[in-house]
Amino acid sequence: MSLSHEEQTELTRIAVKAGQILHQHGAESRLVEQTTQRIGLALGAQSIELSVSSDAIVITSLFEGNCITTTRRCYDRGINMQMVCDVLRICIMLEKSLLDADQVKERLTRLTPYKYNRWLVVFMIGLSCASFSHFFGGDLPVYITTFFASAGAMILRQELAHRHHNPFVNFALAAFVATTIASVGVIYEFGENPQIAMAASVLLLVPGFPLINAVSDMLKGHISTGIARWVFATLLSISVAIGIVASMSLTSVSGWL
Amino acid sequence: MMELIQLIIIDALFAAVPAVGFAMVFNVPKKMLIYCAVGGAFAHSLRFLLMDLGLHIEWATLIASSSMGFVGLYWSRKRLIPRPVFTVASVIPMIPGSFAFTTMIGLVELNTGGYSVELMQIVTENGLKTLFILGALSFGLALPSILIYRGRPIV
Repeated sequence: MSLSHEEQTELTRIAVKAGQILHQHGAESRLVEQTTQRIGLALGAQSIELSVSSDAIVITSLFEGNCITTTRRCYDRGINMQMVCDVLRICIMLEKSLLDADQVKERLTRLTPYKYNRWLVVFMIGLSCASFSHFFGGDLPVYITTFFASAGAMILRQELAHRHHNPFVNFALAAFVATTIASVGVIYEFGENPQIAMAASVLLLVPGFPLINAVSDMLKGHISTGIARWVFATLLSISVAIGIVASMSLTSVSGWL
Repeated sequence: MMELIQLIIIDALFAAVPAVGFAMVFNVPKKMLIYCAVGGAFAHSLRFLLMDLGLHIEWATLIASSSMGFVGLYWSRKRLIPRPVFTVASVIPMIPGSFAFTTMIGLVELNTGGYSVELMQIVTENGLKTLFILGALSFGLALPSILIYRGRPIV
C-alpha cells in the first residue's frame, strides 16, 4: 500500500477529527489515544504518534519517512456517551474494511450529539436525588422536598449551560437554588429529618464523571490530563460549597456540619 | 434473613433510579439505559450487602466497583460499546458526593469562622473518606484493563 502526500494529509485529518470528537465529549485519554491510533493505522499510516493534553491533541502520522503533524484545540462540549459510541463504531467498521476513507470522513462530519428531552432529564434527576435522600434515611416528605429542590436546580443548570455560562458560576447558582428550596422544608418542618433534603438535593452537582476520568487517566499513565481533570472537578465542588454556604447564611438554616 | 433480602431489593431499586438519571445526563444511548439500571442496582446492592457483613465502606466499594468493571467488560465485548458508557453511570450512586461537599463546606467555614479542632476534624475525616472511596471506585473500574488487557483495546 502506498500513500501520496495528499492522502497522508487526509488520513491525518480524519484521525485527528475522531480524536477531537472523543476528547470533547468526555472520553478518557486512553480511549482517545487508542481509537485515534487505530483509525490512523487502519487508513494505512505506518505509525501514529499522539499527545493528549487537557485541552488539545497533537498528532503526527508517519509514512515512509514522511511526517505530517497537526494540532486541534478541544473545547469541552459536555459529556455525551452517544458520540463516543458512534466514533468507536466507525472505528470498528473501518478496521473490518466496511468503510473507506471518504465514507469515514463523511460519517464523522455527519455525527450530531443526541440530547434527551430536557424535561424528562429534569424529572429523572429529581427522582435520582430523591432516591439519594432515601439512602440517607429520609421519609416521604423529605423525598418530595428533595425532588422539587433538585428539579429546580436542574432546570437552572440546563438553562445556564444552554446560554454557555461559565461552569463554576452555573454550579454555584444551582447549588444556591437547591439549598434554598430544600431549606423551606426545614423551616416548615416537612418530615422527620428535613436536613437530609439539603444534603441530598445538591448531589446532582457532584462532578462524578470528571473525577472517575481523572483517577483512571492517572492510573493509565496520563498524569497531566488526570491532574487537570482532578483540579477542574475540585474547583467545581468548591463552587458548589460556596453556593450552599451563601444560601445557608441568607436563610440562616443549617443543614451541614 | 428475609428482612435482609428485602432491604437489599429495596436498595437495588432505589440505586437503579440515579444510575438511569445520571446516564441520561451523560447522554448514554437509549438501548444502553437498561444496562445502566441493572449495573447501578447490582453494584450498590452488592456494596450494601458487603457493608452489612461488616466490611469497611472503602473495601466494599472496591469489591463492588471491580465486579462492576468485569460485568462491564462482558457487556462491552458483547455489544461493542466502550466500557465507560455503562460502568460510570452504574457507579454514580456510590460516588461520595456528600463527603466531598462536607469537606468543601468545612473549608469555607474554617476561613470565615476561624480555626477550630472540631471543624478541622470534620474536614480531615470527610476529605480522606472522599479520596479513598473515589480511589477505590476508579481503581476497581479500571481493574480489568489493568490486569487483563494491559494496553490493548477492549473493543
